[in-house]
Amino acid sequence: MLTELSDEQLLTQSLAGDEDAFTALYHRRQGMVYRFALHMCGSTQIAEEVTQDVFLFLLQKGAGFDADRGALAAYLFGVARNYIRRALQRSYSEALLHTSMEDEMPSLLVDNDPAHGIAQRQTSDAVWKAILSLPAHYREVVVLCDVQELTYADAAEAMGCAIGTIRSRLHRAHDMLARKLQHSAAAAPKISNVTARCIS
Amino acid sequence: MTCREFKKITEALTLWELLRSQEGRLLGHAGACSTCGAWLQQQRMLAANMQTLQARTAASGASPKVEQAVLQAFRQRSSQARPWIVEDDRIAPVAWRLSRFFEVGAYAAIAAAIVVVLFLGVRLWQQRLAGVPVQSQNTNVSRPTSPSDRVQIASSGSEGAQAPATTASDGSKSGTLMSQTSASNNNGRRLWRKDSDDSEQLESTELAQASADAAYTPLMFCDPLSCSSDSQVVRMELPSPAGPDSQPQVADVVVGYDGVVRAVRMVN
Repeated sequence: MLTELSDEQLLTQSLAGDEDAFTALYHRRQGMVYRFALHMCGSTQIAEEVTQDVFLFLLQKGAGFDADRGALAAYLFGVARNYIRRALQRSYSEALLHTSMEDEMPSLLVDNDPAHGIAQRQTSDAVWKAILSLPAHYREVVVLCDVQELTYADAAEAMGCAIGTIRSRLHRAHDMLARKLQHSAAAAPKISNVTARCIS
Repeated sequence: MTCREFKKITEALTLWELLRSQEGRLLGHAGACSTCGAWLQQQRMLAANMQTLQARTAASGASPKVEQAVLQAFRQRSSQARPWIVEDDRIAPVAWRLSRFFEVGAYAAIAAAIVVVLFLGVRLWQQRLAGVPVQSQNTNVSRPTSPSDRVQIASSGSEGAQAPATTASDGSKSGTLMSQTSASNNNGRRLWRKDSDDSEQLESTELAQASADAAYTPLMFCDPLSCSSDSQVVRMELPSPAGPDSQPQVADVVVGYDGVVRAVRMVN
């Protein structure tokens, strides 16, 4: 069964020409790549382009993946990170965060209380806006470790830096986020047609 | 626990571990220290906010068109891979053939070099075995030397040999000098003529002549007195003409670098 195979095994079979294995690998890992790109850029279009580019890259250069160096997930995050940087440097330096994005993302209804759902949405929007306003190298660690829940080791592998660097950046990023959220909670803005600049 | 220790421990924890942490030491210090307590509370609120963002985007994924594009690329790659493999098969034999050619050529070159070296070595060895060609004076071998036949005294080798006045009648610089190791042995060492193409014919002719000459006296080789880069003085013991019972005569012979006798001096 393909679901019992590891990522590395699926990749090996995919590179050998097994379409089913490649499809299984794609279904297993496309979501995390897409969400990573979405949280980094705030744009679904960029997120989809990055996801496509990552898996095309895996088809072309997947033979160069070394399982001894780390997990395939960390490898995919590292590739996605590079594509995101390119996309941001090219022409997508500003990400629009507006109400249309709320239509694309599933609404969170924890219970039947609409007010609670709206509050949750505003909180998540505020968090997302705060993350997008972070410098790129802080944003990356927050998205990888806090949102994607990668371990410090996997995040270090994806970013190509030491674990200590990850920790220090994360600590600093948390302080910055906490201050931003405090300010946003005090201002309590209604999120509509707000342009958030991705500071790279 | 100090604030530094609290900070050190919490830095090693992820946001989610901080959120769920029930460690007594951490909670105790956070309760006792307002600064660390506020910080811990701040981090927990951040973690909770992150959870809402996580929950909101947990089901997000790429649209089906991305999957279609990726699978199309996969199929295209698979279909292109087959002719590529065929080209590999085409290329590989040519490269293999080229490498074999160069490999065989390299072996052939090495073998040829070995053959050439062997050939030259054999030739060199043959030349060395044949001996050194030496020019010799044309002496009157039919007449034995006598004390009265004095030649110009040659100095020792360090002073250099002077050109002697030979006893040869014709004084030609070509000729052979027959030196025999024993009177009964006519097959002495032969000296080659450098400037003659008919050296072998001349040797056989002179051998026949020498062997026919019964008065030819072989010389006894004695100790060399001195030698230099140019000439060598050899003391020789000559049989006395008075007979075997008389004291033999001793002569110093100067032999040049080319083996040609330059001068002779009667010692006694």
